[in-house]
Amino acid sequence: MSTVLAGALSAGEQGLDFSLAQKTTVILLCALTALISHLALAVFNDGVRPFMLDFIQGRSNRSATTAVSFGLSAGFIFGLGAPMALSTGVLNPWLLFLPTDVLGLLAPKKWLAPLLGGAWGALVVFGLNGANDIAHDLPVDFLTAMQQMATPILFLFTLFPVLAITRQFGKLRGGIAGVVELALVILTMKLWPDVFPGAAAMAVGVVMLIGFATAKDMRQRRADREEKAKAEVSEGKDASTGPERPVTEAELEDPMLSLFSASATRLRKHLPLFMVLGAGVCLLAQMHVFGGGEATSFLIAKEDYTGAAQVDFYRVFGFIPLIATTALASGAYAIAGFTFVYPVGYLLPSPWLALLAGAAIFAIEVLALSWIGRMLGRLPSVRDSSEHLRNAISESLWLAILFGSLLAANTMGGGLGILIVGGLYLLNEAMGRVVVRMAAAPAAVLVGGVLLNLLYWLDLFTPVKS
Amino acid sequence: MTKILTGGVGKVQVADALGDLGLGDLEVTVSSDMDAAMKLRAGQADYYLGTCHTGAGASLGVLLGVLGSGTCHTFGRGIPTDAEVTALLEDGKKVFGFGMDQISETAPVIARAIAAHTR
Repeated sequence: MSTVLAGALSAGEQGLDFSLAQKTTVILLCALTALISHLALAVFNDGVRPFMLDFIQGRSNRSATTAVSFGLSAGFIFGLGAPMALSTGVLNPWLLFLPTDVLGLLAPKKWLAPLLGGAWGALVVFGLNGANDIAHDLPVDFLTAMQQMATPILFLFTLFPVLAITRQFGKLRGGIAGVVELALVILTMKLWPDVFPGAAAMAVGVVMLIGFATAKDMRQRRADREEKAKAEVSEGKDASTGPERPVTEAELEDPMLSLFSASATRLRKHLPLFMVLGAGVCLLAQMHVFGGGEATSFLIAKEDYTGAAQVDFYRVFGFIPLIATTALASGAYAIAGFTFVYPVGYLLPSPWLALLAGAAIFAIEVLALSWIGRMLGRLPSVRDSSEHLRNAISESLWLAILFGSLLAANTMGGGLGILIVGGLYLLNEAMGRVVVRMAAAPAAVLVGGVLLNLLYWLDLFTPVKS
Repeated sequence: MTKILTGGVGKVQVADALGDLGLGDLEVTVSSDMDAAMKLRAGQADYYLGTCHTGAGASLGVLLGVLGSGTCHTFGRGIPTDAEVTALLEDGKKVFGFGMDQISETAPVIARAIAAHTR
């Protein structure tokens, strides 16, 4: 516990100091992702992907698609990506890839897209460092205060499988999962104080959820088969109804299957480019300057790469169906694929291995897309589980980020800090959530930090002594 | 009876929110994007309300692909007005996506407009 907390608290002090190789990788990767977005082959924002189909088929133009992309991404870039990067000193996909989605689509010419993307990468690696230094030198250092978010995020995130199980399979199984996870967290803290306490608990929780879902689907399929057999026995003599049903079902399935297979074919055609993309993202993860998930940046910051790999690995299960179906429906893939390249990257010992592994993972993912789409059609409970997992991830992170933001507000400004940050959060709620709920609190901390510094210069506020 | 399917991350909450309104002539069923796409296509359901973080991705992906953009609309992160939804319904939109943190504000507006439109 103590090492985890101490590590989390000292996380941001190493700042954003990138080596030349790291800077080059970020700039080149941003150039590549912007080009890929320009070509409508992949975007990072899951919400933008559905709109790519109309763009690819020429039913909507570049500027309309850019507007959609900007509208759906802006809140996540400024509310989530930037504050997280500033407070942890670790880059994240919202800060790097959401802007390259927009810039790539914005670029009217193909050659301009990688230039804009590369420029964004350069701005991030050079500019963030300066912003970071300036912010740390202010009388009210709100970036150091933001590291208060680490503890609630790391610990509450651990519970996301329990929430998903409760929502999908009821109170009893949810309660059991909760007790099991709590016991495992306590056990881990006692026996392996250096390990991230949620690691084992999360693993068991996710396995339980997937187990419940698979069992349910299997039971359902068996029941369906028995019912069908029974129906066939009773209607066996009536030959006219027998063959009719499968025909109509096949007709119903057809538009989705043909849509899915057209998309899969389009993506397979660009396999080499996707392999380069996978290699790049995996390399970035291997350099340990990048965290793929909301909780991961804090773990990367305190150099717990195994913990980070575990957290991002479990997170993958919440996103596979979403990414697969939106990719198959739209013909545009995800910039980080199924995000398997993140955990693999964190763990690999050398950059060369990361390049090879990233390319191989993306090749497998793109080639397996159609198969995954077919499987998902047959396993409704598993798809349901992934929706519950994503819901649970955002639920637990919402509370953790809100709570952590109030802790940060207290650290930087005491009661006045809490009033400003909590007040801005409530105001956003009252105004119909102009800023995404998840990002509202950290954004409020940044605004509150600037406001407290202004008050200090006006001699209206004395910084809290730590 | 107008059949509305809900899907996406907040599908249960949307169904609950609509149930609480007590609009008699609406039948609300929790569904999934794939099933809903096929049912709407086959005319077994009339409307689909999808939710996700951005209000567009998971909620609309498959439906946009199967049904085309002519019948789909996302409110993104904005809260629609009654007149806005009515205009969209008159325009033939059947599939609506919105942010999961705006369910309590957006879902009733859409449901009331649908109820008035189909009456």
